[in-house]
Formats: sequence, C-alpha cells, structure tokens
Amino acid sequence: MTLVFKDNREFMKALAAAGELVTIEQEVDWDLEAGAIVRKVCEEKGPSPLMNKIKDYPGHRYLGAPIATYRKLAITMGMDPDSSIPQIAAEYVKRTNQQPIKPVLVDKKQAPCKENIITGKDVDLFSLPAPMVHDGDGGRYLSTWHFVTTKDPDNGDVNWGMYRQMCYDSKTMTGPLLPFSDGGKVFHGKYRPRGLAMPFATVIGPDPLSAIAACAPSPIPEPEYTGMLMGKPVELVKCETVDLEVPAHAEIVIEGEILPDVFLEEAPFGEYTGYRTSPRDLRTVYRVKAITYRNDPITTISNMGVPTDEGQLLRSFSLCLEMDTLLRSQGIPITGAFMWPESTHHLVVIGVKTIYSNIAAQIAQLVFGSKLGPWFHMVVVVDDQTDIYNYNEVIHALTTKCHPKKGIHIYEGAGTPLYPFLNFEERLKMAGPKVLFDCTFPIDWDPLSEVPRLVSFKTVYPQEIQEKVLANWEKYGFKAR
Amino acid sequence: MLHYDVFVNSLADLPEGQEVRLAIRDLAPGTHKYCYSNVTALVSPDAQKYEYGLLVRFGRGQIHPAPYSIKILQQVERIPERWR
Repeated sequence: MTLVFKDNREFMKALAAAGELVTIEQEVDWDLEAGAIVRKVCEEKGPSPLMNKIKDYPGHRYLGAPIATYRKLAITMGMDPDSSIPQIAAEYVKRTNQQPIKPVLVDKKQAPCKENIITGKDVDLFSLPAPMVHDGDGGRYLSTWHFVTTKDPDNGDVNWGMYRQMCYDSKTMTGPLLPFSDGGKVFHGKYRPRGLAMPFATVIGPDPLSAIAACAPSPIPEPEYTGMLMGKPVELVKCETVDLEVPAHAEIVIEGEILPDVFLEEAPFGEYTGYRTSPRDLRTVYRVKAITYRNDPITTISNMGVPTDEGQLLRSFSLCLEMDTLLRSQGIPITGAFMWPESTHHLVVIGVKTIYSNIAAQIAQLVFGSKLGPWFHMVVVVDDQTDIYNYNEVIHALTTKCHPKKGIHIYEGAGTPLYPFLNFEERLKMAGPKVLFDCTFPIDWDPLSEVPRLVSFKTVYPQEIQEKVLANWEKYGFKAR
Repeated sequence: MLHYDVFVNSLADLPEGQEVRLAIRDLAPGTHKYCYSNVTALVSPDAQKYEYGLLVRFGRGQIHPAPYSIKILQQVERIPERWR
C-alpha cells in the first residue's frame, strides 16, 4: 500500500521524520525575510522551513521549499528518501501508466478548506500573507507553489496549472497565462474571443501529489493524474462562487474570474531560470470573489532563482518522462531521457541505440515539435554506451563526440518570454530558437578503422583483469568503495 | 520618507510637471504594503517638490538612486464596472 499524504500537514510529519523539516518559532517578516530563508534553503538543498509566526498575520504559517530536492520528492511519493533518481522515475512511470483514477466529490462538511469562508465585499487578498519573495519583484506573489484550476467551456475538461499570481489590489491578482499553456489555450482560444470571463480557483497549499500533477505536462486531466500518483481518488469539493472543484484538504482557495478584456501590470519576478528576465507587461487579470481557508492556514512558498527550486526539479522530472513516453510511443529505441534541474529544464539528455542515420535529428524534431517544446531549447543525444544520469559521462560525450560543424543543428520554435538569452524584442514575441547536440558517432563509420575506442576501466581491460583489480582494491591500500 | 514606488522603463516615463497616469505601490508598513493603485499625478525628480516621496524602479526591479516626489491628482479605476 503506497503511503499517501492527504494534505501538507501529513506530508510535513514525514519530512520531519526524515530530517527534512525545520520548524521556526520566532517571528518571520513576510517582507523579504521569509523569501530569503527559502532561497537559502533552495541553494543549499536544505530541509523545508515551517514558519509558525508571520509578522502582521497572526494564525498564518508558511511552508517553504516543500519539494525542492529529490529526497523530498521521494518522500512525497511515499518512497525511501534515499531512493535514486532512476528509482523515483521508475515508480513515477509505473503509477502514471495505470488507468486514470477519477476524483471523488466530498461534502463541504468533510472539506477542511471550507473552515473559513469569505465572500463579497469582505474579500481582501491582503488579509493573506502573500510574501515579497525577492527584493525588486513587481509585487507580493501569493501563488508560487499552488495551482490554478479552470474548465473548458465546450467539453468541460478540467485543467490544473501552476501559473504565478501577483497580488495587485485587494480583489485583483495579475499574472502571465501564456497562450501555449493548457490553461492559456482555453482562455485565449475560447473565453476571450467570446468576451467571456473564465472562472478560476487558485489552490494554495495543495497536497504534494496534486501539486506534482499540476506541474506535469501530461495530456491526462490533472485530477485523474493525481489519482494515478496516489493510487486512489483525490477528494474534491465544490467551490463557493464558481463551477469548479478543488482538493478538499487544500490550505487556501481563491475563487473568481479571469477577465477577457482587461490587462494590468505584472512582474518583474525572480524566475525559474535564475534571473529576473520577462518584461514587466500588461498581463492576465484575476478578479477575486471568494477566499476559503483552513484554520491556521499554511501558505506554501517556492522561491524561484538559481537552482534548485520546485519548478526546476519537478518540471525537469516530468518533462523528460513525458518525452520518454512520447519517443517510445513513436518506436524510437531510446534508453531514457533526463534533465538536470540545474539546467532549469532547458537541456534534456536523451540516450538512444543508433540503429539508423540521423536518429538524433528525428528525436529533436519530435520533442521540439511537441507541446513540451516551448519549455526547453537544448537536446543532447547520446548513444546507449553513455549513462544519461551520469554528468561526467554526458559532458565527456558532448565534448568528444559532437562534431562542431556537423553535429550541432539549429531549429526555430516556440519559446517563452522567460529565456534570459533572448533580446527584449524576442522575449515579447516569445521566440524559441532551439539546438540539437548530436553526440553519436555516425553509423557508417567503419567500427575497426574509424570509430574511436573509449578508453575506460570498463572498456579496455579484459574482464578477468577488471575482476582481479576490484577484488584486490582494498589490499592495494585503497578505501572500500 | 518614501510613500510610494513606481516601475518605469526609463526616466522619460516620468516627465516633470506633466500629468501622467501611473500604477503606483503603497509603501506604508502593514498588511497592505505593496498594494497597487492607479492614479493621475504630477512627479518631479526634486524629492522635496511634492507631498509624497516616490521610489523609482526600473524594469527588472533596479532602484534609481535618487527618489522623486509625487502629487496624486486622482484615483483611476481600470477595471470596468461590469467586472467589479
């Protein structure tokens, strides 16, 4: 039976048991101090801070950096915290290849997120402790580890997406709902042309697997995807003022409408690329109608910046697993796909058996052309002799097998305004130049006379010599490995 | 004392003595710090000229070293009535 946390309160107990939670009892200022704590934790890959006393906001709490390391991801999945990345990936793939599990609707009385309900003129976003995450941000970002749920007006398909939201005034939030995101496609493609406001509900402090599902670029609706990750249905409850459902055990829910014809300033913001890049611009307006929350609510904070934060880790994790699924579905003989979170999910390493020429180009065209394409721009294709999880091996392959003239291929594609290397105009146009590094030797090279021989312990010594050296390793005077 | 701040692409967005429309943030300590309001106003690079101090920030959050001052003429509502 998989260990499943119905909310962050249960999850925090597991973090504490694994030494991955620090409880801070002294008062913490929402204005930069909390953000600075979380940033430092991200950069040191440290335990998650639970901040029990927030300046100006008695009764509110913060949980920072809840899943910013692979150890915490393993805990989230109910696994041994010391599980390896391939082990976590295998478990994730196993669960998400089962049949989708539909959510169940529970009564309001069974939903802790309804313990406090504020509607109408009493709604004030500034009654919530939205942190000033980074000095110089365009505002207080309430939504950094959360999701926004919306519904397709034609077929009723539900989307959960992690789209950042800045508090603008007491009843207004702003944020980029990019047109290539799932939520953006429905808003810009269906609601706006009809002049209709799009109902939304922002879920702050969802259970950790719902949050992971909201980050995943899967075509499966996120409520069902959450069920697959949990191995049982996620419990949802109806919203107060909009026709949407939210996880019953969430900490805070904000309901309202996204306006079709009004855009207000948003940004700058410290972003997942590790820079403050995207231009301050007129962005989507979320008009708030209701706020519901648990007693002693816990606002979750992810602090985007230099690696590693939740977005980098989980987007890297789920993007490459989606690419893995896509490529295998097309019959490409890959060995796997992996993104280092330190690449801010911009670079994917894909291993493949090079059974025909130009297979690397085919891989690049497939992944760049997919719905995943706007989120990354570098593909490194290595052969099946290279361990895609081994940084040393991948760097070695990149610098020795990739021909500078013949092995690097440039493509045009869709991008985001968040790419730091784009100039200002390119960011506004969401340009997305892409590059393939083909780190495979051509298959028409003669294996005896042309293909270089890898010189490593495992490849240039007879098996019996390798075994003898390993058997005598400690006798030689080396430490046991 | 700085009462508000504003983000601009360049200082040319803040012509002295001319009525301008700005989205400014309230810097008063407390729960509503950083709340936006939209105003028409007069601004000046002379920090003493008008009643309120105005911190100027550029597009990536960088602070202009010399504060301005601002006189708020009118609040402006940018959300149409039908959505309020």
